[in-house]
Amino acid sequence: MTTLAVFRREWIGRRNVFLLALGMGFIQLVGTRFESEVGKAAALSLGSGIMLAWVVAALFGATMVGRDLEERRFGFWLNQPLRTGEIFAGKVAAGVGMAVLAAVVLCLPMLLFGGLRRVLSLREASEAVGGGLAGSLVLLLLFHAVSIQVRSRSLWLVLDLAAWSGFFWSVRLLSLKLIWAGAFEQMFHVWLTLLVLVTLGLAVAGYLQVAQGRADLQRGHRWVSVTLALSLGLALLVGSAQAAWVLRSKAESLKQQAVSPRIR
Amino acid sequence: MTTIQVIPAVDCRNLSVRYGRTQALDRVSFTVEPGQVYALLGRNGSGKTSLVRCLLGHQKPQSGRLDLLGQDVWSSRNALMQRVGVVSEEPDAPPAMTPRQLLKFCAGLHPTWDAAAADERLTRFRVPLDVPFGKLSRGQKAQLALTLALGPKPQLLVLDDPTLGLDPVARREVYDELLSELADRGTTILITTHDLAGIEGIADRVGILHEGRLLVDGSLEELKARHRKVCWAPFQAVRAEALAHFAPLRIREHGLGGEAVLSQGDPTQLLDGDRPDLKVHALSLEELFVALVGAESEVAS
Repeated sequence: MTTLAVFRREWIGRRNVFLLALGMGFIQLVGTRFESEVGKAAALSLGSGIMLAWVVAALFGATMVGRDLEERRFGFWLNQPLRTGEIFAGKVAAGVGMAVLAAVVLCLPMLLFGGLRRVLSLREASEAVGGGLAGSLVLLLLFHAVSIQVRSRSLWLVLDLAAWSGFFWSVRLLSLKLIWAGAFEQMFHVWLTLLVLVTLGLAVAGYLQVAQGRADLQRGHRWVSVTLALSLGLALLVGSAQAAWVLRSKAESLKQQAVSPRIR
Repeated sequence: MTTIQVIPAVDCRNLSVRYGRTQALDRVSFTVEPGQVYALLGRNGSGKTSLVRCLLGHQKPQSGRLDLLGQDVWSSRNALMQRVGVVSEEPDAPPAMTPRQLLKFCAGLHPTWDAAAADERLTRFRVPLDVPFGKLSRGQKAQLALTLALGPKPQLLVLDDPTLGLDPVARREVYDELLSELADRGTTILITTHDLAGIEGIADRVGILHEGRLLVDGSLEELKARHRKVCWAPFQAVRAEALAHFAPLRIREHGLGGEAVLSQGDPTQLLDGDRPDLKVHALSLEELFVALVGAESEVAS
């Protein structure tokens, strides 16, 4: 219930996003009148919807706690009988919800008047919403962490840069190994594992920044840095193990599977 | 025979806060008993803000312990905020929310919220209900913040310079509200302020922070009784040795004579000699504060 209160409060200050999305949706509708292929116009509309969701999520993440801390307004939340988990969860839910709803609002004119409904299957719609939702969550958490790291202006930023550089360099090495082995599909699986683990790490880091750092930006940054460095390390360990498992497989590891003839 | 132990409203023990090499608070200890009004004074940069942030569980001190109403503030902040009202130095409510929305928001979080009293207070303060918080005047923001802090009928009020930047009328209204709260419910109040004249009539106890250390912690009456000001006429200087006996905090000579703030003993003894020009005065809180933390006191000591 209290999480919902935080959720509602976050929306009050940023509801103009929906007006902006609606305006963009109508501009897009007019633009697609010049597009002869309905499918192309639909893809464009969906694509811009997802892009808007991601931009909104990134901006929301960068400001939801960091700006309040910098402008010394985070105390308002801490002075209320709210658990730090409720404050963080309410803000994350508000950000992701707002991002996805902004995308839906942007697509609304195309859905109602642009023929998007005719060409869009239920599966495609679910995939688009899922992509928008997942991407928004990742971006919101990532930008929250980055915003804390940048705004605190402390030397811990060196650890952050080292951790991220080491992570991306290791991911590149892993990917190259998998590419050389021709394991393209498995490479994407490894990436997915890394993404899920890093997102979990970002969520824990974000929560700890609020719970342990509270109004102290530098202390919050320390918690973010340490948690993220550990999460990136853990994700790399799991990703490396997964890649090693893929690369260790030999021709003998292949199992023959029965193929049934296609019934005509 | 059983003795009832009164739990202090604020119990601060050996609190230390450090920012890099700067020691913001150095083993600060004090208690505030239930029903007291404790004024925490200090110059800018003396450590007041750090202390208030620790008091409200916004910041974890490097060492020491801080209990509010018998509970550790860092670990029990959430539960404590049901019983503690806060007015921050900078009005910190979300700028897009109107007073009406803020009242509704806070009422939903506090089971003990007194909606009628909060509405009545805002009407009395003439704060518009549907103007976003960010567009209210400084005085209206302070009055709204006080209304929100008093709404849940708190046992402890923490006010961080609530009259900062207010005109005399708005300042008076804030103090009147506090006085009526004290009269009605005996709420414990911890207030930091630079408005020494305003707080003088309300505070029971005073703590003076200076460079991170609690220089003074005592009742206002006791402090005033201990400190006296002695003035003398031009060209009639009092010998430093004569004053040394009274532990002077500050000695100043100027064109109109001189004055000394004395911190112990009974300076009326000085009047015994043939010095009709000598006069002993009681100190105002402001004079006492300046004598204790002003740069000149260091020269004197």
